[in-house]
Amino acid sequence: MTGYVVRRALQAVAVLLAITATAFGLFFAAPSDPALIACGPKCDTGQVEAVRHSMGLDRPVAAQFGDYLGGLVAGRTITDVDGSPIDCPAPCLGYSYALHQPVLDAIADRFPATLSLAAGALVVIVVLGVGVGFTAALRRGTRTDRLLSGFTLVGASVQIYFLGYALQYLLVYATGALPVPGYTPFGSSPGAWAAGLALPWLVLGFVNAAVFARLSRVQMLESMHEGYVRTARARGLSTLRAHLKYTARGAGAPLVQLLGLEAGALFGGAFITETVFGIDGIGKLAVDSVVQNDLPTVVGTVLLAAFFVVVFVALADLLVARLDPRVRLV
Amino acid sequence: MSTIRALRADRTGMAALCAVLLFVVLALAAPLITALYGKNATEHYGQNAPGLLSPEGLPVLPNGGISGEFWFGLEPGLGRDVFAQLLYGMRTSLVVAVAATAVIALLGTVLGLVVGYLGGLAERAFTFVCNVLLAFPTLLLLLALSPVVKTRFVDPGENEPVWMQFTVLILVFAAFGWVPLAMVLRTTVKSLREREFIEAARASGASRWHILVRELLPNIWAPILVNVTLTLPGIVTAEAALSYLGVGIDEPVPDWGRMISRGAEVFYDDPTYMVFPGVTILVFVLAFNLLGDAVRDALDPRTAH
Repeated sequence: MTGYVVRRALQAVAVLLAITATAFGLFFAAPSDPALIACGPKCDTGQVEAVRHSMGLDRPVAAQFGDYLGGLVAGRTITDVDGSPIDCPAPCLGYSYALHQPVLDAIADRFPATLSLAAGALVVIVVLGVGVGFTAALRRGTRTDRLLSGFTLVGASVQIYFLGYALQYLLVYATGALPVPGYTPFGSSPGAWAAGLALPWLVLGFVNAAVFARLSRVQMLESMHEGYVRTARARGLSTLRAHLKYTARGAGAPLVQLLGLEAGALFGGAFITETVFGIDGIGKLAVDSVVQNDLPTVVGTVLLAAFFVVVFVALADLLVARLDPRVRLV
Repeated sequence: MSTIRALRADRTGMAALCAVLLFVVLALAAPLITALYGKNATEHYGQNAPGLLSPEGLPVLPNGGISGEFWFGLEPGLGRDVFAQLLYGMRTSLVVAVAATAVIALLGTVLGLVVGYLGGLAERAFTFVCNVLLAFPTLLLLLALSPVVKTRFVDPGENEPVWMQFTVLILVFAAFGWVPLAMVLRTTVKSLREREFIEAARASGASRWHILVRELLPNIWAPILVNVTLTLPGIVTAEAALSYLGVGIDEPVPDWGRMISRGAEVFYDDPTYMVFPGVTILVFVLAFNLLGDAVRDALDPRTAH
């Protein structure tokens, strides 16, 4: 097991390094001029040159990338537009000239909103997805199965940017059943926190639960006919207990992996959900920074999102290796 | 042949196929239909004729201004015809989705075939690249890349030509979309490679090209087909999502995502406007998902209900 953990961790680090290089290369090698954006439209050519120099943008891309990596590991000092030094401690993701703050601080400010949204949505995904999938599998071929399958098919086809507004119109505007969606910090009012996020949780959860429900139904059906489940039943376990103890465990591996991918993607920011419901999280930060051409923030949010995906997928793999000893042998 | 028979026996699948074909026909015939209907997708009817829009830019008639004259109502603000916009928006969606899916199918097939057959170092490099691409937040990257490409190839101050907007979008979708297909095909080819008929071909001195194209390719069209039916609706929704977020095909080319984004601005006052693109995307994706299920069931009877 230790060997597997080490191999998996090294692989994750290598992938992250490659992603950093790609993201950095794509955006910093792009010809849109960060110095011009940082300086603003009133700058003349000389001022832009001065800003470019103080930001280090006149150095080769490789050297800039070296600085960036160094900042990630050990922190660095960045020069602001007016030449004053800004201390950026590790892990330094650069400085946003549009927001006038280090990228990491901008992300940290918005992370609680994204975390709240993602955590609640994940609960909905697991409960709804696995519940629907397993029920459909156990009642395979019945009317319940067909009803649930139709339900998940709609979930897999409907779009957040439509369902979100439609439900908001029905539940908030037309009937007033829910308050206007938005993010209130948990610390200031747990009730408002839950009420404001209830609709986003449901919408984001429902749409993603559909894929989960389909996968868990198929997995469950497949592992129901495994030899070890038959053995367990032959030895006198009741149907339900055999399914819970053995079928679910056998069916679990791909579900855990999908959940890892899902969790990683959600913690990196739900761009559309946050935009639809006006939640000021990382997804909205990323979209805004793209629109404003704020390159350091774009790279920072891309890296953060990739980081979460890599870490959660690696964690899921380790969990699968624990659940299913066959994986470790590969 | 048995596959086609199985597909024809699947009533839901056939209904889905008809729906998909209907969408394609509507998109192809859009100029003809709008000519018969007597409206186009770009004219600002609501602004040109008085009495159609209120001073706030909202349709005067209830339900988004639906009438015998304007079947699906008027766009708030600019006052364009919703029905014509929907029809032409379908063309935008389908052009991007079909072209990107074609490039993805080609890239994924070539990479999956070659890597699966060669194995070894090529396969390790391939796995690494796939891991990197899979960890990227695709939507954010698409969002960020389109303006970057635009500034690279278009002089400042000039408008980006429409064909270039489409090309950029298609290529960016393709650049990140080939991974799932290539990964599936690699696994399939790896197991086929050890089978007797490949060994026989190799023993009889067949070239690598012959083995790849004549022996392996005919045996992997099933996963390719399943992947295509999954990829295409995915690109339709991703394209709409990009336009919804403000990056994508620009005005005045009609676009479903931009209709939704405009609808979102006014949905408390004029919810009808958003219902049309929203429901159209839903039905379109639903039909494709049902068709995809039917194709998969027909190709692999074990997964059938």
